[in-house]
Amino acid sequence: MSIATQRSGGGGGGYVERAPGGGSSSLADVVALILDKGLVIDVFVRVSLVGIEILTIDARVVVASVDTYLRFAEATNRLDLYEKGGKDLPGLVQGITEGGAKGKTTGVLEAAAEKVNDILASGREQREEREEVRRRPVRQRARENEE
Amino acid sequence: MNPEQAERPTYVYGLITADTELPDGLTGLGPSGQVATIAHGRVAAVVSDVPLDRPLGVRGDLVAHETVLDTLAARGAVVPMRFPAVVEEHAIVDELLAPNEDHFVQLLESLEGRAQFTLTGRYEQDAVLREVLEGDEEIRALREKVRELPEDASYYDRVRLGELIVRELEQRQETEGTGIVERLEPLAVATVTNQLASPEDVVNVAFLVERDRQEEFENAVEGIGEELVGRIRLRLLGPVAPYDFIPEE
Repeated sequence: MSIATQRSGGGGGGYVERAPGGGSSSLADVVALILDKGLVIDVFVRVSLVGIEILTIDARVVVASVDTYLRFAEATNRLDLYEKGGKDLPGLVQGITEGGAKGKTTGVLEAAAEKVNDILASGREQREEREEVRRRPVRQRARENEE
Repeated sequence: MNPEQAERPTYVYGLITADTELPDGLTGLGPSGQVATIAHGRVAAVVSDVPLDRPLGVRGDLVAHETVLDTLAARGAVVPMRFPAVVEEHAIVDELLAPNEDHFVQLLESLEGRAQFTLTGRYEQDAVLREVLEGDEEIRALREKVRELPEDASYYDRVRLGELIVRELEQRQETEGTGIVERLEPLAVATVTNQLASPEDVVNVAFLVERDRQEEFENAVEGIGEELVGRIRLRLLGPVAPYDFIPEE
């Protein structure tokens, strides 16, 4: 999903991961970019808004909690401070565990986006399970309000 | 426009100047897949039909919204609407464009020749944790204590250890993140700081950049990335539509 492209032209390099936008970015990028941003249509169109159901997309930033603390304590404990030179067996094992734990340290936003993705994927495969996805009507028809 | 057509639900992606031609190959999120414009005076809304048999917000909808806007942004000024925007077709001229033409023209002029880049940076976990341990005796001592205790006996010490580390990371974020942004700010017209999602994140800032200075900006980011390699991974998203630079009304 996520595509890193190296710059063409300019001073070469490749020290910075590039994502060009325009649909080739990851879902996490898309969610972070467009959600809650842009011109709000309701400000301008008050009478003829069309109420439409939308899937709730949770991409909240989670405040550091006990779980976060434990995660960092664990990561720190795994570190071999005296690891110098060649890796011994514990070093190798450690490398593997660290690789395995990468998923846990994924950003919250990415995790949220992955969750959205899961929900959407399951929605596509099993349409009858769609009710599980929380929905909220974004807005009522303005006309209904007037009546 | 017959009455049925006038009330037809229409999806609005964003606004462009009326003289901007739509590029080929745009795909809308509606059943027809088509994207069109509805113009009034000097501004035009970029629109499509909208699926009515399902709620909006699946992956394809989000991607279509972003792709249409980013593709337009690559060619000229565009004002993105907030996802999702659905109105009756007649309202696009009657309520959106006609009463606000001057305002939208000004907004588009202020964005002309500019694009958004979002820079995110994240610590390499092992590297930064080593730095934290080496620089703080209390954290080092607590870590040794935790390592010697069985897991269930060390719970509160582990929480405390993690808390101290997270505090330390947050302090680093503040100085290092600000440092990165201060170096790039002179190359941008405006910046918007986004909230960081994790203690490992160092920076998440949107830059509005003049196209004339795009290469200069990209090279500067690349230079900082080179300096930070092994400690902080930088990622540059863009050019994209100026999502972060639309004023709240």
